[in-house]
Amino acid sequence: MTAAGIGTLVVGGLAALDGTPVAQTLASQPLVTATLLGALWGDWSTALAVGVVLQILAASTLPIGARTPEDYSVGGVVGAGVALTIAAGAPFEHVRQAASLAGVLAGMTAASLGVPLLRWQRRWNEGLARWCEGELRAGRERALAESQWAAVLLAFAIGLAVTALWLSLAHAGARMVYRESLRLAGAWHLLQPLWLGFGFAQLLHAFVQRRLERAGVFAAALVGAWLVIVAGAP
Amino acid sequence: MSTQAPHSLARGTLLEMGLRANLLQAAWNFERQQGLGWAFAFAPALRQLYPVREERLARLAEHTAYFNTQPTLASIALGAAARGEEDRSHGAGGDAESMARLKSALGSTLAALGDRLFWFSLRPFAATVGVLVAMAHPRGGWGALALWLVYSVPHLTMRFGGVAWGYAKGPAVLSGDLRAWLEAGVRWLALLGCVVLGVALAWALAPGGVPRPIAVQCALAVGLGVGLLTAQRARPSPTRWALAFGILGLILAWRFHT
Repeated sequence: MTAAGIGTLVVGGLAALDGTPVAQTLASQPLVTATLLGALWGDWSTALAVGVVLQILAASTLPIGARTPEDYSVGGVVGAGVALTIAAGAPFEHVRQAASLAGVLAGMTAASLGVPLLRWQRRWNEGLARWCEGELRAGRERALAESQWAAVLLAFAIGLAVTALWLSLAHAGARMVYRESLRLAGAWHLLQPLWLGFGFAQLLHAFVQRRLERAGVFAAALVGAWLVIVAGAP
Repeated sequence: MSTQAPHSLARGTLLEMGLRANLLQAAWNFERQQGLGWAFAFAPALRQLYPVREERLARLAEHTAYFNTQPTLASIALGAAARGEEDRSHGAGGDAESMARLKSALGSTLAALGDRLFWFSLRPFAATVGVLVAMAHPRGGWGALALWLVYSVPHLTMRFGGVAWGYAKGPAVLSGDLRAWLEAGVRWLALLGCVVLGVALAWALAPGGVPRPIAVQCALAVGLGVGLLTAQRARPSPTRWALAFGILGLILAWRFHT
């Protein structure tokens, strides 16, 4: 495996940590991880094409209360990682577009499949919490730190393992993507703006909250920005 | 404050609590939710307040019980509860039950405020800013940096500063200006979010001033329309809808591509 591949696995593990167990700084968001992977693989355009679409979708996925949301922390790394693995060394633009489509689909699927995995992890943590309380009552103060680090280690290992699994699938399926790259690139031209529009709508709904004046602010900003961008173009 | 009372918490202890609050959700589980992380973050305060080991361990075990709130604002709860525990260690506060009641009140109130500010407002706002910058500067990490900074600066400031704030105000922290301040934050972020989103959509329609082909603009408009319709219901989730679009797009590409 290449250094970029190993780096992707590590980013997968770290993203799994930032997602919930450690710090939650949004360093695990798809745009951030895709940017890191773009720098690692030396292919900004493929990484950011995937990162932007997954980011828009991830923004409307919220970890409220006890809900287990789609895991876009690992999903974002999987998406960009799969696309970069397939696109690595591809000489033609349409192959990179096909790889971007495969990456976004892989990222969304990994994020969805991450839900049962997160639930399992959280159930495993229940046992850890019970063990910790018992140990504390038995006088072992260090049990608290040990159980915290055990949970952190498990989350890192799961993130790394899931990323590794998807990267091997990408290696295995790369030939098929090359073969069908024209069709997939055609689908990408249709789906990328569709997904962007869909994600923008989710964000708009989150900001407007059925308040007419906010919808007016959005419309004014859209028209004003469009005029400035188009009129200001060389 | 830290130098007046014999058991009052040192600044270093509050900082350590803020640092440990980063692991608040490390062992998140359905039964106790943030309970274990709370006890881990609270341990430095208990170490200082209860020098007798047995007493400290008993308190620590108490604090592993159920707790849940919005993780950023949990720092305020940690500080306020540390103040309550300090009173308790001096014999001036209540018992284990009153501490549990205090934690429950802090947790639910801060969750209601924090979810709206950090999850429903700041997180989508940071994502919108990041996506706009990434679309405008597709080469380089400016979008990612913008997203991270917009969210992390307030998040980490609150995480580290919140403990000292909660400790200074004590359980009364919820009755001060905090609520009005957070509500104002939500309102302004929503308005600014509308503006940034409008600019982002305009850029997606005509990046660099060059309008994209009509088919692309139509796909954007269809996505926006369907998105607004589906956003009215929580299920199926946006990801499931997006996956369904993906499958539909693949079928169309296979059917019509020659």
